[in-house]
Amino acid sequence: MKHRKLAVGLSALLAGACGGAAAEPAGPAVVAQATISAADTGWMMTATVLVLLMTLPGIALFYAGMVRRRNVLNTMAAVIGIAAVVSLVWFALGYSLAFTPGSPWLGGSSRFGFAGFDHLHEAGTLAVSHIAPRIPESVYAMFQLSFAVITAALVIGAFVERMRFAAVLWFAALWSLVVYVPIAHWVWEPGGWLAQLGALDFAGGSVVHVNAGIAGLVCAYVLGPRRGYGREPFEPYSLAFTMVGAGLLWVGWFGFNAGSALAADGRAGLAMVCTHIAASAGALSWMLGEWAVRRSPSLLGLCSGLVAGLVAITPAAGFVTPGAAALIGAIAGLACYWGATALKRLLRADDSLDVFGVHGIGGLVGSLLTGVFADQRLSGVSGSVVTQALAVGAVALYSAVATALVLWLVRLIVGLRVSEDTEALGLDLGVHRERLGG
Amino acid sequence: MTENERIAIAARLHVALRRKTGRVTDTEWMAANADYAIEVLRFARAHAAEQHDAELAAIADRLEQAMAPIVAAARLRETLLRQGAPGAPASRYVGGLR
Repeated sequence: MKHRKLAVGLSALLAGACGGAAAEPAGPAVVAQATISAADTGWMMTATVLVLLMTLPGIALFYAGMVRRRNVLNTMAAVIGIAAVVSLVWFALGYSLAFTPGSPWLGGSSRFGFAGFDHLHEAGTLAVSHIAPRIPESVYAMFQLSFAVITAALVIGAFVERMRFAAVLWFAALWSLVVYVPIAHWVWEPGGWLAQLGALDFAGGSVVHVNAGIAGLVCAYVLGPRRGYGREPFEPYSLAFTMVGAGLLWVGWFGFNAGSALAADGRAGLAMVCTHIAASAGALSWMLGEWAVRRSPSLLGLCSGLVAGLVAITPAAGFVTPGAAALIGAIAGLACYWGATALKRLLRADDSLDVFGVHGIGGLVGSLLTGVFADQRLSGVSGSVVTQALAVGAVALYSAVATALVLWLVRLIVGLRVSEDTEALGLDLGVHRERLGG
Repeated sequence: MTENERIAIAARLHVALRRKTGRVTDTEWMAANADYAIEVLRFARAHAAEQHDAELAAIADRLEQAMAPIVAAARLRETLLRQGAPGAPASRYVGGLR
């Protein structure tokens, strides 16, 4: 990511100036408004909206289409509830702990409650982040907020149709703070230990997707399977909903990946091209795999494959050529098909909507292949598979342990599962007293 | 007929069988699985005929009517599988979506 390149450059500069002594990266600052790029700011505001569109309504539709009819509204409500809760947590604590200098493990408290986001008209100054100095810090914080929201929303795919609504909200708030925020700091804040190590993650292969995938798998194990799982068919309510959601994800992902260049520049353009090529390759490779194994190409397979391609290109989008992006997407499509079918049977967890199979495996494949295909001519940095593997392993391990702790705490506070009667009745009526029309 | 209505009728048969024969059944599975429902219906009707129990026979008839679409879908799946039709929905969505 551009953050990392900045960190490497800044560290080298300061190390040289200080005779090789270790130097703290600079923190947020107040600058003259004239130093802000209008083009970059405009693009980053657009990218932020695109990423929010991925969650609202992208993920809501994508997931709601795959659950049974009696749980559609609950799934949509969970996505909106999570978006609201995580946004407030990000505002109160999360942004500061993730994206201000502190220790290699966690950021500082200077931006709690978005403090210091000054825009002083008279003085002609405004606050910027040291990570994105050409756009207002308010825009950067909102852009990162949209990432925090979608990461937490992705996890619910593993435990839909059985978790208490209060537990969903508690889980989202605590998980975002305890799991997502530290990992974002490790990888994306220039002083984070994985950033210092040289781990490459352009837009969230490990921070978002490996993290969400592992958390989803842990949730599936801890909550246990839905009643009747493996014995009776769980008919998805509407794969048409899922297709519309997948389409919104595909389009929104341009904000996710090209926005992660943090500028309206050539690297953003490259990331956009790579994103589209990888999504296309992923959709086709999953489809061909399914066609070969099951003798029929399914709509759900195409939708899943495009998401697999998008997930895998996420860590690589600003580091690789379009040709490499096609290969990454194609490999991810097949790997995620295996992850959501054969591997899923081996794991024996009711990861209901295959969060681990698609996001966990796709994020892992993409992160490792970033180490293989990162091209120094494009970004000034080259990749290392060993470093990438270390980063993914550290993220996966921390995510698994911390997610289990969060679930344990939520179980103590409100309990995790709905009653058997509510599950049989459906969470739409049982939890919300609402029914899908028609 | 909604799933909840099927479960309600299956629950009535469950209670009747428990009271009249001592047989314990799985209500939800009865309302979802054609083979299991057919076997429970066979047992209920055999007992109703033996004991001249019109009430039990009537509940069995209602469940048979409610389960007709499920039984028809199960038969279609079996036919498709026998013909080797690709993607026959026999195992579709059991244990996974993809």
